[in-house]
Amino acid sequence: MDIILKRNGIDAIYVKAIGRLDIDNAVEYGTKIKDYIEDSDETITDVTLDFSEITFISSFGLKVILELYKLMKGRNGEIRLKSVSQQLINSFKMVGFDKFLIFE
Amino acid sequence: MFKTIRSKILFMSVLMLTVLMFAFACYTLISRMKTKQLMVQNYGDSVNSFVRDLDERIVKSEDNLKSLALIGGLFYRTDRSYELTNKVVQRIFENYPETLGGGIWFKPYILDKSKERICFYAYRNKHNEIVLDENFAGKDYDYPNQEWYKQIISKVTPERNIVWTKPYYENLGSYTTMVTAGTGIYVDGELVGIATVDWEIDSVIDKVSKMKPFEKTFSMYKNGAEIKNSFALLGNKEYDYIIASNDPYIPNEKIVGHSLKTLPWYADNLYWITYIKYHNKKYVPFYRKLRNGMVFVICVPKWEMFKDINYFYLNMFFVLLLIGFIIPMILFYSLNRNIIKPIDKLTDIAHKIGRGEDVTIKIEKPEEFAQLASTYDKMTKDIKSITRERAKINSELSIAKSIQYSSLPNVFPPFPNRREFEIFASMDAAKEVGGDFYDFFFIDESKFMFLIADVSGKGVPAALFMMTVKTLINNVSQMNYSPKQLIKIINNKICQTNKQGFFVTALLGITDIITGKTSIINCGHNLPLIKRKNGNYEYLQLESNIALGVFEDSEFEIYETVLETGDIIYTYTDGVTEATNKDDEIYGESRLYNCLNNINDTDPKEIAQKVKASIMEYTDSNLQSDDITMLIYKYNGASNNVKIFKQAADKGYYKEFYNWIHSACKEWNIDEDLTNKLDMCAEEIFANIAFYAYPEIPGMIEAVLTKTDNSIVLEFIDEGIEYNPLEKPDPDIDLPPEERPLGGLGIFMVKQMTDDIVYKRENNKNILILIFNI
Repeated sequence: MDIILKRNGIDAIYVKAIGRLDIDNAVEYGTKIKDYIEDSDETITDVTLDFSEITFISSFGLKVILELYKLMKGRNGEIRLKSVSQQLINSFKMVGFDKFLIFE
Repeated sequence: MFKTIRSKILFMSVLMLTVLMFAFACYTLISRMKTKQLMVQNYGDSVNSFVRDLDERIVKSEDNLKSLALIGGLFYRTDRSYELTNKVVQRIFENYPETLGGGIWFKPYILDKSKERICFYAYRNKHNEIVLDENFAGKDYDYPNQEWYKQIISKVTPERNIVWTKPYYENLGSYTTMVTAGTGIYVDGELVGIATVDWEIDSVIDKVSKMKPFEKTFSMYKNGAEIKNSFALLGNKEYDYIIASNDPYIPNEKIVGHSLKTLPWYADNLYWITYIKYHNKKYVPFYRKLRNGMVFVICVPKWEMFKDINYFYLNMFFVLLLIGFIIPMILFYSLNRNIIKPIDKLTDIAHKIGRGEDVTIKIEKPEEFAQLASTYDKMTKDIKSITRERAKINSELSIAKSIQYSSLPNVFPPFPNRREFEIFASMDAAKEVGGDFYDFFFIDESKFMFLIADVSGKGVPAALFMMTVKTLINNVSQMNYSPKQLIKIINNKICQTNKQGFFVTALLGITDIITGKTSIINCGHNLPLIKRKNGNYEYLQLESNIALGVFEDSEFEIYETVLETGDIIYTYTDGVTEATNKDDEIYGESRLYNCLNNINDTDPKEIAQKVKASIMEYTDSNLQSDDITMLIYKYNGASNNVKIFKQAADKGYYKEFYNWIHSACKEWNIDEDLTNKLDMCAEEIFANIAFYAYPEIPGMIEAVLTKTDNSIVLEFIDEGIEYNPLEKPDPDIDLPPEERPLGGLGIFMVKQMTDDIVYKRENNKNILILIFNI
């Protein structure tokens, strides 16, 4: 899975991934972001996930997103999902994630 | 050779006629010979009468001579009246009209020493007048030196006093050939002169030649034909000279006075000879002696003589021949008309009756055939009434047969929407109602059962039993037992209903049309043939079980196989392999084997028809003695509406798995939303099985994706530890995110997304069925 991770100022990162967030890729995606945040010298409080090129998200993907959300909440940070297709939003809604995730 | 009455009778009649004609011909030949003999005899009689006539004339001439001699004697002794004597001589000749002339001649100088010649001579002139010619006594006619005088005077004696001269040509008065008879005139024992009578020979010969011999013999000849070319001979045998002859080849003048032997045909024994050959012609000679020592012969041409009789017999022969043809003709015609024609007519009628035509028989003559015809008529009516009875029974039987036949599935293809398999079955019933049957039906959505069977026995009882068995199998099969249970139940039920001791040989197949998994049970039936993809048909060497309906609680061996796309199973009853030809030889399994392997077609219907054609060709027109039944099942593989995925239960195969789902969705034009749902659910279950089902020993994961008209069914099967995901409690999605657990989302989502979800544990398998409405 191609994952592009960019530093957007001091405390913000921008992540764009292309492909499916499924059993094969979700863990890799989650781990890469988590590692970056934890390894960073500065405190990252703003994470933007670009979903424009994500075509599919399974329960594994959702689990990763929840994990990331919990991580950021612990740092008083924020996580934002950008350009999420309606179809994926439905998936988020199904498990009630729409109640706390910020969609842009 | 003579097969028909016609030819026999014709032959007999010809034979009889031939014999008759032969006999008649013999008789005719004999009678012809007799007739000829009679004719010859008759002709001889005519000759005799002619000879008698001549003899009479000879007698008269001799009388004449005696009278003349008497007058001569008187003249010598008496007064010698010349005048009187002349008159007497003249008178005598008037009394003897057959003589030409004659006279009295005295020896020279015996009456008068001065007168040498004294004679009296009279003759008939051309006007038949008697002329006295005294010139003969003159000096011009020197009678004593004439040959005839010398002959007579030298030969007469008192004992034998009539002498006939040799013929000579007279050149005084009449100028004809003549013969002279003479006698001596004795006075006191002394010869004083001679008396003579002249005969004209030519007239005698003429008369002979013109003789009509048959005047009174054959009445059928009007006038008695003159026999042409006959010729006669007058001769003197004693002195051996010819007096006259009209032999056509030798002129009379040349032979007159010569020896009789001068004539080439003359023989002394002529009297005894039946015919002579002269100048290549056959003549019948008639030989007679005259009283004066002369011989008379007449030769009649043989052909001329028998000409009429020959013509008569020739005509008769032709008439006979004609009759010989006509009589058999008439016989044949009448025979044909009276016997053969009626027979032909009856034969014709018999044919018509045989074809079932309505015929009225009318033969009035002859009596015998009229009787036969009425018997025929009665027989026809009897046959008709019998036939009506038969037809009634037959029609009932044929109704039974058609009921039996219509109880079998006979609309093909039977499941036009099904692509997974093709099936064709046919039953050609023998004349009788038989016990063969076949059947096929779905047991459930994917299990399909086909069977072919043969109930022992024939006729209506077998047919009724067959119907019972068929219904029973169908009913029991719907219960969805395993094949082993199913066949046992079927057998037991058949045993229970079978009081008549029937049994059923059967071949049952239960096949999963999705997986191709097939169970085949052979209950004492003919071994089927199976054609594996790209291979030959081979006999499937099945364990043979006991036939159904024999023993209750029998155990049955079940053959299991997996059919692949293109596999064909050919099943049949013994009517196929035991079809016999005219020599009573069976069609047999090897012929069936060869026949099937020569068929390139894979369409079951075509296969059935080609096998049937091969059987027909083999049996020719031999009557079919048993039902010919066959059922052909061809597996085309799982339908396009069913997709199967089967792999080791390992996360590493996920990519293959999701490609499988996506390609199916793309193929079936599933919308994005539903595809997404399927994708999510499928991944969840796949992961579950891959991660948890086989904690110790690795195992398989099987997924079946089925598209129906209004839903997509996704079925997961694994043989792992028992696990019902539906028992897992749902997560509380209203909890604040910080409190929410990370797991348990997947099954929840699956439940949310599916329209129905079923879990079952069967045969140590976890089966999870997900249903999505379209």
